[in-house]
Amino acid sequence: MFRCGPATGGMESMKLRVSPPVFKGGLHDARTATSLGRWLGLAFTVCFLTGLVSHLMQHPPGWLADGLPSRPSWGYRLTQGLHVASGIAAIPLLLAKLWTVYPRLFARPALRSVRHALERLSVAVLVAGALFEPATGLLNTAQWYPWPFSFVPVHYAVAWLVVGALVLHVAVQAPEIRAHWSRRSPGTLALPASDGRDRRSLLAAVGAAVGAVTLTTVGQSFTPLKDLILFAPRDPDEGPQALPVNRTAAAAGVGRIPGEAYRLAVDGPRPYTLTLDDLRALPQHEVELPIACVEGWSRSAHWTGVRIADLLERAGAPPHARVRVVSLQLRGGYRVSEMGHRHARDPLTLLALRLNGAELHPDHGYPARLIAPNRPGVLQTKWVGRLEVLS
Amino acid sequence: MKVTRLLAGAAGAALMGVGVSLLLDVRDLTDVVVWLGGAVVLHDALIAPAVLLAGLVLVRGGLRGPVRAALIVAGSLTVVALPVLLRPGPRANSSVLPLDYPRNWLIALAAVAAVTALSTAARRRARRRRPPS
Repeated sequence: MFRCGPATGGMESMKLRVSPPVFKGGLHDARTATSLGRWLGLAFTVCFLTGLVSHLMQHPPGWLADGLPSRPSWGYRLTQGLHVASGIAAIPLLLAKLWTVYPRLFARPALRSVRHALERLSVAVLVAGALFEPATGLLNTAQWYPWPFSFVPVHYAVAWLVVGALVLHVAVQAPEIRAHWSRRSPGTLALPASDGRDRRSLLAAVGAAVGAVTLTTVGQSFTPLKDLILFAPRDPDEGPQALPVNRTAAAAGVGRIPGEAYRLAVDGPRPYTLTLDDLRALPQHEVELPIACVEGWSRSAHWTGVRIADLLERAGAPPHARVRVVSLQLRGGYRVSEMGHRHARDPLTLLALRLNGAELHPDHGYPARLIAPNRPGVLQTKWVGRLEVLS
Repeated sequence: MKVTRLLAGAAGAALMGVGVSLLLDVRDLTDVVVWLGGAVVLHDALIAPAVLLAGLVLVRGGLRGPVRAALIVAGSLTVVALPVLLRPGPRANSSVLPLDYPRNWLIALAAVAAVTALSTAARRRARRRRPPS
Protein backbone atom coordinates (compact mmCIF):
# COMPACT_ATOMS: atom_id res chain seq x y z
CA MET A 1 0.00 0.00 0.00
CA PHE A 2 2.81 2.41 0.75
CA ARG A 3 6.53 2.26 1.00
CA CYS A 4 8.84 4.71 2.64
CA GLY A 5 12.56 4.40 2.69
CA PRO A 6 15.84 6.17 2.26
CA ALA A 7 17.26 6.49 -1.21
CA THR A 8 20.99 6.69 -1.58
CA GLY A 9 22.11 10.15 -2.52
CA GLY A 10 24.80 10.94 -5.01
CA MET A 11 28.33 10.06 -4.03
CA GLU A 12 29.28 13.70 -4.21
CA SER A 13 26.83 14.75 -1.50
CA MET A 14 27.07 11.65 0.71
CA LYS A 15 23.85 12.78 2.37
CA LEU A 16 21.05 10.45 3.22
CA ARG A 17 17.98 11.63 1.35
CA VAL A 18 14.50 10.45 2.24
CA SER A 19 12.39 9.77 -0.81
CA PRO A 20 8.66 10.45 -0.72
CA PRO A 21 6.60 7.35 0.03
CA VAL A 22 4.96 5.52 -2.86
CA PHE A 23 1.28 4.70 -2.49
CA LYS A 24 0.31 1.65 -4.48
CA GLY A 25 -3.01 0.89 -2.83
CA GLY A 26 -6.33 1.92 -4.31
CA LEU A 27 -9.00 4.33 -3.15
CA HIS A 28 -6.67 7.29 -2.59
CA ASP A 29 -8.67 8.86 -5.41
CA ALA A 30 -10.91 11.86 -5.96
CA ARG A 31 -14.12 9.80 -6.20
CA THR A 32 -13.59 8.29 -2.74
CA ALA A 33 -12.61 11.73 -1.40
CA THR A 34 -15.76 13.28 -2.92
CA SER A 35 -18.08 10.58 -1.54
CA LEU A 36 -16.65 10.87 1.97
CA GLY A 37 -16.27 14.64 1.75
CA ARG A 38 -19.96 15.18 1.07
CA TRP A 39 -20.98 13.47 4.30
CA LEU A 40 -18.16 15.06 6.26
CA GLY A 41 -19.16 18.47 4.91
CA LEU A 42 -22.75 17.86 5.98
CA ALA A 43 -21.70 16.77 9.48
CA PHE A 44 -19.42 19.81 9.87
CA THR A 45 -22.14 22.16 8.61
CA VAL A 46 -24.70 20.82 11.10
CA CYS A 47 -22.09 20.92 13.87
CA PHE A 48 -21.12 24.52 13.05
CA LEU A 49 -24.68 25.86 12.80
CA THR A 50 -25.88 24.15 15.98
CA GLY A 51 -22.71 25.34 17.74
CA LEU A 52 -23.48 28.87 16.62
CA VAL A 53 -27.00 28.53 18.07
CA SER A 54 -25.53 27.35 21.36
CA HIS A 55 -23.03 30.20 21.47
CA LEU A 56 -25.72 32.81 20.78
CA MET A 57 -28.00 31.35 23.45
CA GLN A 58 -25.24 31.25 26.06
CA HIS A 59 -23.62 34.57 25.22
CA PRO A 60 -26.26 36.58 23.34
CA PRO A 61 -24.97 39.85 21.88
CA GLY A 62 -26.93 42.92 23.02
CA TRP A 63 -29.05 43.19 19.88
CA LEU A 64 -30.22 39.60 20.21
CA ALA A 65 -30.61 39.28 23.96
CA ASP A 66 -34.29 40.25 23.93
CA GLY A 67 -35.09 38.40 20.71
CA LEU A 68 -34.16 34.88 21.83
CA PRO A 69 -37.28 32.75 21.45
CA SER A 70 -38.50 30.60 24.34
CA ARG A 71 -40.13 28.14 21.92
CA PRO A 72 -39.99 25.43 20.82
CA SER A 73 -39.41 24.28 24.39
CA TRP A 74 -37.20 21.43 23.12
CA GLY A 75 -35.22 23.71 20.78
CA TYR A 76 -31.92 23.78 22.64
CA ARG A 77 -32.20 20.11 23.49
CA LEU A 78 -32.42 19.33 19.78
CA THR A 79 -29.69 21.68 18.57
CA GLN A 80 -27.18 20.78 21.26
CA GLY A 81 -27.93 17.06 20.95
CA LEU A 82 -27.33 17.41 17.20
CA HIS A 83 -24.15 19.41 17.83
CA VAL A 84 -22.54 16.64 19.84
CA ALA A 85 -23.97 13.81 17.69
CA SER A 86 -22.81 15.38 14.41
CA GLY A 87 -19.37 16.04 15.92
CA ILE A 88 -19.06 12.38 16.95
CA ALA A 89 -20.38 11.17 13.58
CA ALA A 90 -17.76 13.33 11.86
CA ILE A 91 -14.88 11.45 13.52
CA PRO A 92 -14.92 8.25 11.37
CA LEU A 93 -15.69 10.33 8.28
CA LEU A 94 -12.80 12.70 8.98
CA LEU A 95 -10.29 9.92 9.59
CA ALA A 96 -11.39 8.08 6.43
CA LYS A 97 -11.26 11.28 4.38
CA LEU A 98 -7.76 12.09 5.61
CA TRP A 99 -6.64 8.53 4.86
CA THR A 100 -7.92 8.89 1.31
CA VAL A 101 -6.10 12.14 0.57
CA TYR A 102 -2.98 11.38 2.64
CA PRO A 103 -0.72 10.75 -0.42
CA ARG A 104 -1.31 14.36 -1.48
CA LEU A 105 0.77 15.42 1.49
CA PHE A 106 3.80 14.20 -0.47
CA ALA A 107 2.89 15.87 -3.79
CA ARG A 108 5.92 16.94 -5.80
CA PRO A 109 6.90 19.66 -6.37
CA ALA A 110 5.86 20.63 -2.86
CA LEU A 111 5.18 24.23 -3.85
CA ARG A 112 4.56 25.24 -7.46
CA SER A 113 3.53 28.85 -7.09
CA VAL A 114 2.31 31.43 -4.61
CA ARG A 115 -1.25 30.32 -5.29
CA HIS A 116 -0.35 26.69 -4.70
CA ALA A 117 1.40 27.64 -1.46
CA LEU A 118 -1.68 29.49 -0.20
CA GLU A 119 -3.85 26.56 -1.21
CA ARG A 120 -1.70 24.13 0.76
CA LEU A 121 -1.65 26.51 3.72
CA SER A 122 -5.46 26.64 3.73
CA VAL A 123 -5.60 22.83 3.62
CA ALA A 124 -3.15 22.67 6.52
CA VAL A 125 -5.42 25.02 8.51
CA LEU A 126 -8.45 22.92 7.54
CA VAL A 127 -6.82 19.66 8.64
CA ALA A 128 -5.53 21.16 11.89
CA GLY A 129 -8.88 22.69 12.80
CA ALA A 130 -10.89 19.67 11.63
CA LEU A 131 -8.86 17.40 13.93
CA PHE A 132 -8.82 19.93 16.78
CA GLU A 133 -12.57 20.61 16.96
CA PRO A 134 -13.98 17.07 17.37
CA ALA A 135 -11.07 16.15 19.67
CA THR A 136 -11.50 19.10 22.03
CA GLY A 137 -15.30 18.83 21.87
CA LEU A 138 -15.28 15.13 22.74
CA LEU A 139 -12.82 15.64 25.60
CA ASN A 140 -15.00 18.48 26.89
CA THR A 141 -18.03 16.18 27.06
CA ALA A 142 -15.97 13.89 29.31
CA GLN A 143 -14.98 16.96 31.39
CA TRP A 144 -11.33 16.35 30.58
CA TYR A 145 -9.29 19.49 29.91
CA PRO A 146 -5.67 18.56 29.20
CA TRP A 147 -4.93 21.91 27.46
CA PRO A 148 -3.82 25.13 29.10
CA PHE A 149 -6.33 27.43 27.34
CA SER A 150 -9.98 28.13 27.97
CA PHE A 151 -12.21 25.70 26.03
CA VAL A 152 -15.26 27.73 24.98
CA PRO A 153 -13.65 30.78 23.27
CA VAL A 154 -11.02 28.62 21.52
CA HIS A 155 -13.49 25.94 20.34
CA TYR A 156 -15.70 28.76 19.03
CA ALA A 157 -12.91 30.67 17.24
CA VAL A 158 -11.43 27.55 15.60
CA ALA A 159 -14.93 26.59 14.39
CA TRP A 160 -14.99 29.74 12.23
CA LEU A 161 -11.50 28.94 11.00
CA VAL A 162 -12.57 25.42 9.98
CA VAL A 163 -15.78 26.50 8.29
CA GLY A 164 -13.94 29.23 6.36
CA ALA A 165 -11.20 26.84 5.28
CA LEU A 166 -13.87 24.29 4.31
CA VAL A 167 -15.76 26.75 2.09
CA LEU A 168 -12.45 27.80 0.52
CA HIS A 169 -11.50 24.14 0.02
CA VAL A 170 -14.80 23.37 -1.74
CA ALA A 171 -14.32 26.42 -3.98
CA VAL A 172 -10.78 25.37 -4.89
CA GLN A 173 -11.74 21.74 -5.49
CA ALA A 174 -15.06 22.48 -7.22
CA PRO A 175 -13.98 21.11 -10.64
CA GLU A 176 -12.66 17.90 -9.08
CA ILE A 177 -15.79 17.50 -6.96
CA ARG A 178 -18.02 17.99 -9.98
CA ALA A 179 -15.98 15.53 -12.05
CA HIS A 180 -16.42 12.83 -9.37
CA TRP A 181 -19.87 13.67 -8.01
CA SER A 182 -21.67 10.51 -9.17
CA ARG A 183 -20.74 7.04 -10.35
CA ARG A 184 -21.25 8.16 -13.94
CA SER A 185 -19.40 11.47 -13.71
CA PRO A 186 -16.53 11.73 -16.23
CA GLY A 187 -13.81 11.75 -13.57
CA THR A 188 -15.22 8.66 -11.87
CA LEU A 189 -15.43 6.81 -15.19
CA ALA A 190 -11.77 7.59 -15.85
CA LEU A 191 -10.76 5.72 -12.65
CA PRO A 192 -10.11 1.95 -12.77
CA ALA A 193 -13.51 0.26 -12.89
CA SER A 194 -12.16 -2.57 -10.75
CA ASP A 195 -11.93 -0.17 -7.78
CA GLY A 196 -15.70 0.37 -7.77
CA ARG A 197 -16.56 -2.64 -5.65
CA ASP A 198 -13.73 -2.05 -3.21
CA ARG A 199 -14.78 1.59 -2.87
CA ARG A 200 -18.40 0.70 -2.14
CA SER A 201 -17.21 -1.78 0.47
CA LEU A 202 -15.02 0.90 2.12
CA LEU A 203 -17.81 3.48 2.09
CA ALA A 204 -20.23 0.94 3.60
CA ALA A 205 -17.68 0.22 6.34
CA VAL A 206 -17.27 3.92 7.13
CA GLY A 207 -21.07 4.25 7.14
CA ALA A 208 -21.26 1.35 9.61
CA ALA A 209 -18.65 3.07 11.79
CA VAL A 210 -20.71 6.29 11.79
CA GLY A 211 -23.77 4.26 12.77
CA ALA A 212 -21.87 2.44 15.52
CA VAL A 213 -20.40 5.55 17.18
CA THR A 214 -23.79 7.27 16.95
CA LEU A 215 -25.81 4.38 18.40
CA THR A 216 -23.42 3.94 21.33
CA THR A 217 -23.50 7.62 22.36
CA VAL A 218 -26.64 9.36 21.11
CA GLY A 219 -28.84 7.96 23.90
CA GLN A 220 -27.44 10.65 26.23
CA SER A 221 -29.72 13.15 24.53
CA PHE A 222 -32.07 10.99 22.41
CA THR A 223 -33.44 9.09 25.39
CA PRO A 224 -35.37 6.38 23.45
CA LEU A 225 -31.90 4.95 22.66
CA LYS A 226 -30.54 5.27 26.20
CA ASP A 227 -30.25 1.51 26.62
CA LEU A 228 -27.68 1.39 23.81
CA ILE A 229 -25.29 3.83 25.52
CA LEU A 230 -21.79 2.40 25.83
CA PHE A 231 -19.47 5.41 25.55
CA ALA A 232 -21.56 8.46 26.45
CA PRO A 233 -20.20 10.38 29.45
CA ARG A 234 -23.72 10.54 30.91
CA ASP A 235 -26.58 8.14 31.47
CA PRO A 236 -29.87 10.10 31.45
CA ASP A 237 -31.15 7.98 34.36
CA GLU A 238 -28.04 8.36 36.49
CA GLY A 239 -28.08 11.04 39.19
CA PRO A 240 -30.15 12.20 42.16
CA GLN A 241 -33.90 11.87 41.33
CA ALA A 242 -32.85 10.04 38.13
CA LEU A 243 -31.49 13.22 36.57
CA PRO A 244 -27.78 13.93 35.93
CA VAL A 245 -26.08 16.84 37.68
CA ASN A 246 -23.25 19.11 36.65
CA ARG A 247 -22.53 21.21 39.73
CA THR A 248 -23.52 19.68 43.04
CA ALA A 249 -24.66 21.66 46.08
CA ALA A 250 -21.35 20.82 47.76
CA ALA A 251 -19.34 22.02 44.75
CA ALA A 252 -21.35 25.25 44.67
CA GLY A 253 -20.66 25.77 48.37
CA VAL A 254 -24.33 25.91 49.38
CA GLY A 255 -24.83 22.47 50.91
CA ARG A 256 -28.35 21.84 52.16
CA ILE A 257 -30.04 25.21 52.64
CA PRO A 258 -32.46 25.04 55.62
CA GLY A 259 -35.98 25.56 54.29
CA GLU A 260 -37.02 27.79 57.18
CA ALA A 261 -34.03 30.12 56.63
CA TYR A 262 -34.66 30.46 52.90
CA ARG A 263 -35.88 33.78 51.49
CA LEU A 264 -36.58 34.75 47.90
CA ALA A 265 -36.10 38.47 47.24
CA VAL A 266 -37.79 39.96 44.20
CA ASP A 267 -36.40 43.37 43.24
CA GLY A 268 -38.59 45.56 41.04
CA PRO A 269 -40.82 48.61 41.19
CA ARG A 270 -42.61 46.93 44.16
CA PRO A 271 -39.93 44.77 45.83
CA TYR A 272 -40.89 41.97 48.24
CA THR A 273 -39.53 38.91 50.00
CA LEU A 274 -41.08 35.43 50.26
CA THR A 275 -40.41 32.45 52.52
CA LEU A 276 -40.47 28.90 51.20
CA ASP A 277 -43.95 28.43 52.72
CA ASP A 278 -45.11 31.64 50.98
CA LEU A 279 -43.87 30.19 47.68
CA ARG A 280 -45.63 26.88 48.33
CA ALA A 281 -48.87 28.79 49.04
CA LEU A 282 -48.79 30.52 45.64
CA PRO A 283 -50.54 28.91 42.64
CA GLN A 284 -48.44 25.90 41.58
CA HIS A 285 -47.99 24.81 37.97
CA GLU A 286 -46.56 21.59 36.56
CA VAL A 287 -44.53 21.58 33.34
CA GLU A 288 -42.52 18.97 31.46
CA LEU A 289 -39.22 20.49 30.37
CA PRO A 290 -35.75 19.12 29.62
CA ILE A 291 -32.47 19.98 31.25
CA ALA A 292 -30.28 20.26 28.14
CA CYS A 293 -26.59 20.60 28.96
CA VAL A 294 -24.05 22.28 26.69
CA GLU A 295 -22.07 19.05 26.96
CA GLY A 296 -24.77 17.36 24.90
CA TRP A 297 -26.73 15.24 27.38
CA SER A 298 -30.34 16.07 28.07
CA ARG A 299 -33.22 14.66 30.05
CA SER A 300 -36.88 15.61 30.25
CA ALA A 301 -38.49 15.91 33.68
CA HIS A 302 -41.66 17.06 35.44
CA TRP A 303 -41.25 20.30 37.38
CA THR A 304 -43.69 21.93 39.78
CA GLY A 305 -43.47 25.48 41.06
CA VAL A 306 -44.47 29.11 40.71
CA ARG A 307 -44.58 30.91 37.38
CA ILE A 308 -41.82 33.51 37.06
CA ALA A 309 -44.39 35.67 35.21
CA ASP A 310 -46.62 35.69 38.35
CA LEU A 311 -43.69 36.71 40.57
CA LEU A 312 -42.75 39.51 38.17
CA GLU A 313 -46.35 40.70 37.93
CA ARG A 314 -46.52 41.02 41.70
CA ALA A 315 -43.32 43.12 41.68
CA GLY A 316 -44.89 45.46 39.14
CA ALA A 317 -42.38 44.59 36.41
CA PRO A 318 -43.05 46.14 33.00
CA PRO A 319 -44.01 43.48 30.41
CA HIS A 320 -40.81 43.82 28.35
CA ALA A 321 -38.40 43.93 31.28
CA ARG A 322 -35.33 41.71 31.36
CA VAL A 323 -34.78 39.65 34.48
CA ARG A 324 -31.62 38.71 36.35
CA VAL A 325 -31.65 35.47 38.32
CA VAL A 326 -29.14 35.34 41.17
CA SER A 327 -28.12 32.12 42.87
CA LEU A 328 -27.14 31.59 46.51
CA GLN A 329 -24.14 29.55 45.32
CA LEU A 330 -20.78 30.71 46.59
CA ARG A 331 -18.48 29.01 44.10
CA GLY A 332 -18.31 28.32 40.38
CA GLY A 333 -19.40 30.14 37.25
CA TYR A 334 -22.95 30.88 36.15
CA ARG A 335 -23.99 32.19 39.56
CA VAL A 336 -26.06 34.83 37.76
CA SER A 337 -28.12 34.39 34.60
CA GLU A 338 -30.30 36.76 32.65
CA MET A 339 -33.50 36.29 30.67
CA GLY A 340 -35.23 38.33 28.02
CA HIS A 341 -38.95 39.01 28.35
CA ARG A 342 -39.90 36.08 26.07
CA HIS A 343 -38.42 33.60 28.51
CA ALA A 344 -39.47 35.54 31.62
CA ARG A 345 -43.10 35.79 30.51
CA ASP A 346 -43.41 32.28 29.08
CA PRO A 347 -46.01 30.35 31.13
CA LEU A 348 -43.66 27.34 31.11
CA THR A 349 -40.91 29.27 32.92
CA LEU A 350 -41.06 28.34 36.60
CA LEU A 351 -39.31 28.88 39.85
CA ALA A 352 -39.46 25.13 40.47
CA LEU A 353 -39.85 23.67 43.97
CA ARG A 354 -40.45 20.05 43.01
CA LEU A 355 -38.97 17.58 40.54
CA ASN A 356 -40.79 14.45 39.35
CA GLY A 357 -43.28 14.71 42.22
CA ALA A 358 -40.75 15.12 45.05
CA GLU A 359 -39.02 18.05 46.69
CA LEU A 360 -35.90 19.17 44.81
CA HIS A 361 -32.71 17.35 45.76
CA PRO A 362 -30.04 19.85 46.99
CA ASP A 363 -27.98 19.01 43.90
CA HIS A 364 -30.93 20.06 41.72
CA GLY A 365 -31.25 23.41 43.45
CA TYR A 366 -33.28 22.99 46.67
CA PRO A 367 -35.16 25.03 47.79
CA ALA A 368 -35.92 26.67 44.41
CA ARG A 369 -34.45 26.71 40.91
CA LEU A 370 -35.17 28.22 37.55
CA ILE A 371 -36.51 25.98 34.77
CA ALA A 372 -37.30 27.60 31.44
CA PRO A 373 -38.04 26.27 27.94
CA ASN A 374 -35.41 26.37 25.16
CA ARG A 375 -32.54 27.36 27.43
CA PRO A 376 -29.03 25.91 27.98
CA GLY A 377 -28.69 23.91 31.21
CA VAL A 378 -25.99 26.18 32.67
CA LEU A 379 -28.48 29.06 32.58
CA GLN A 380 -31.17 27.10 34.49
CA THR A 381 -29.96 28.74 37.70
CA LYS A 382 -30.14 26.62 40.86
CA TRP A 383 -30.55 27.74 44.52
CA VAL A 384 -32.26 30.96 43.37
CA GLY A 385 -32.10 33.66 46.05
CA ARG A 386 -33.06 36.77 44.12
CA LEU A 387 -34.92 37.88 41.01
CA GLU A 388 -34.05 41.36 39.75
CA VAL A 389 -36.23 43.23 37.30
CA LEU A 390 -33.93 45.10 34.92
CA SER A 391 -35.01 48.28 33.20
CA MET B 1 -19.53 29.41 -12.59
CA LYS B 2 -16.10 30.93 -12.26
CA VAL B 3 -17.61 33.97 -10.51
CA THR B 4 -19.46 31.71 -8.05
CA ARG B 5 -16.22 29.89 -7.31
CA LEU B 6 -14.34 33.12 -6.74
CA LEU B 7 -17.10 34.45 -4.49
CA ALA B 8 -17.20 31.21 -2.51
CA GLY B 9 -13.42 31.32 -2.12
CA ALA B 10 -13.57 34.91 -0.93
CA ALA B 11 -16.39 34.04 1.51
CA GLY B 12 -14.27 31.18 2.86
CA ALA B 13 -11.28 33.46 3.34
CA ALA B 14 -13.53 36.02 5.09
CA LEU B 15 -14.90 33.35 7.46
CA MET B 16 -11.34 32.30 8.23
CA GLY B 17 -10.66 35.96 8.97
CA VAL B 18 -13.45 35.91 11.55
CA GLY B 19 -11.81 32.89 13.16
CA VAL B 20 -8.39 34.57 13.21
CA SER B 21 -9.79 37.77 14.72
CA LEU B 22 -11.58 35.73 17.40
CA LEU B 23 -8.36 33.82 18.10
CA LEU B 24 -6.42 37.06 18.53
CA ASP B 25 -8.66 37.80 21.51
CA VAL B 26 -7.67 34.51 23.15
CA ARG B 27 -5.13 34.90 25.91
CA ASP B 28 -3.01 31.78 25.41
CA LEU B 29 -2.71 32.01 21.64
CA THR B 30 0.68 30.28 21.51
CA ASP B 31 -0.76 27.24 23.29
CA VAL B 32 -3.64 27.10 20.82
CA VAL B 33 -1.23 27.21 17.86
CA VAL B 34 0.87 24.46 19.45
CA TRP B 35 -2.23 22.29 19.90
CA LEU B 36 -3.44 22.94 16.34
CA GLY B 37 -0.01 22.11 14.92
CA GLY B 38 0.31 19.18 17.28
CA ALA B 39 -2.95 17.72 15.96
CA VAL B 40 -1.57 17.74 12.40
CA VAL B 41 1.80 16.28 13.41
CA LEU B 42 0.15 13.58 15.53
CA HIS B 43 -2.13 12.60 12.65
CA ASP B 44 0.25 12.94 9.70
CA ALA B 45 3.35 11.51 11.34
CA LEU B 46 1.87 8.85 13.61
CA ILE B 47 -1.79 7.90 13.16
CA ALA B 48 -1.97 7.92 9.35
CA PRO B 49 1.28 5.95 8.81
CA ALA B 50 0.18 3.42 11.43
CA VAL B 51 -3.21 2.95 9.72
CA LEU B 52 -1.57 2.68 6.30
CA LEU B 53 0.86 0.10 7.66
CA ALA B 54 -2.04 -1.88 9.13
CA GLY B 55 -3.72 -1.67 5.71
CA LEU B 56 -0.56 -2.96 4.04
CA VAL B 57 -0.42 -5.96 6.36
CA LEU B 58 -4.12 -6.58 5.78
CA VAL B 59 -3.84 -6.53 1.99
CA ARG B 60 -0.68 -8.69 2.04
CA GLY B 61 -2.65 -11.16 4.13
CA GLY B 62 -5.34 -11.21 1.44
CA LEU B 63 -7.94 -9.64 3.73
CA ARG B 64 -10.22 -6.84 2.62
CA GLY B 65 -14.02 -6.51 2.80
CA PRO B 66 -15.47 -7.67 6.12
CA VAL B 67 -12.21 -7.71 8.11
CA ARG B 68 -11.35 -4.20 6.95
CA ALA B 69 -14.88 -3.07 7.83
CA ALA B 70 -14.59 -4.66 11.28
CA LEU B 71 -11.29 -2.87 11.93
CA ILE B 72 -12.74 0.46 10.76
CA VAL B 73 -15.81 0.12 13.01
CA ALA B 74 -13.82 -1.13 16.01
CA GLY B 75 -11.18 1.55 15.50
CA SER B 76 -13.80 4.31 15.30
CA LEU B 77 -15.55 3.05 18.43
CA THR B 78 -12.20 2.99 20.24
CA VAL B 79 -11.33 6.55 19.19
CA VAL B 80 -14.71 7.82 20.41
CA ALA B 81 -14.33 5.84 23.65
CA LEU B 82 -10.81 7.08 24.44
CA PRO B 83 -11.86 10.14 26.52
CA VAL B 84 -14.25 8.18 28.75
CA LEU B 85 -11.80 5.26 29.00
CA LEU B 86 -8.69 7.27 29.85
CA ARG B 87 -9.86 10.40 31.67
CA PRO B 88 -7.67 10.76 34.77
CA GLY B 89 -8.56 12.42 38.05
CA PRO B 90 -11.68 12.43 40.20
CA ARG B 91 -15.12 13.02 38.65
CA ALA B 92 -17.17 16.11 39.53
CA ASN B 93 -19.94 13.86 40.89
CA SER B 94 -21.31 10.35 40.53
CA SER B 95 -23.50 11.20 37.51
CA VAL B 96 -20.39 12.10 35.47
CA LEU B 97 -18.92 9.05 33.66
CA PRO B 98 -21.20 6.68 35.57
CA LEU B 99 -20.66 3.58 33.42
CA ASP B 100 -18.13 0.75 33.39
CA TYR B 101 -16.44 1.94 30.21
CA PRO B 102 -13.69 -0.73 29.93
CA ARG B 103 -16.42 -3.39 30.12
CA ASN B 104 -18.50 -1.54 27.52
CA TRP B 105 -15.49 -1.29 25.23
CA LEU B 106 -14.96 -5.05 25.39
CA ILE B 107 -18.68 -5.59 24.71
CA ALA B 108 -18.46 -3.34 21.64
CA LEU B 109 -15.39 -5.15 20.29
CA ALA B 110 -17.03 -8.53 20.89
CA ALA B 111 -20.19 -7.35 19.10
CA VAL B 112 -18.15 -6.16 16.10
CA ALA B 113 -16.29 -9.48 15.98
CA ALA B 114 -19.54 -11.46 16.25
CA VAL B 115 -21.30 -9.49 13.50
CA THR B 116 -18.24 -9.87 11.26
CA ALA B 117 -18.01 -13.61 11.84
CA LEU B 118 -21.73 -14.09 11.22
CA SER B 119 -21.79 -12.04 8.03
CA THR B 120 -18.67 -13.81 6.71
CA ALA B 121 -20.20 -17.21 7.45
CA ALA B 122 -23.49 -16.22 5.83
CA ARG B 123 -21.64 -15.05 2.72
CA ARG B 124 -19.68 -18.28 2.45
CA ARG B 125 -22.83 -20.34 2.77
CA ALA B 126 -24.58 -18.28 0.11
CA ARG B 127 -21.62 -18.74 -2.20
CA ARG B 128 -21.55 -22.51 -1.60
CA ARG B 129 -25.27 -22.86 -2.27
CA ARG B 130 -24.96 -21.12 -5.62
CA PRO B 131 -25.07 -23.90 -8.28
CA PRO B 132 -21.71 -24.42 -9.93
CA SER B 133 -21.69 -22.92 -13.41
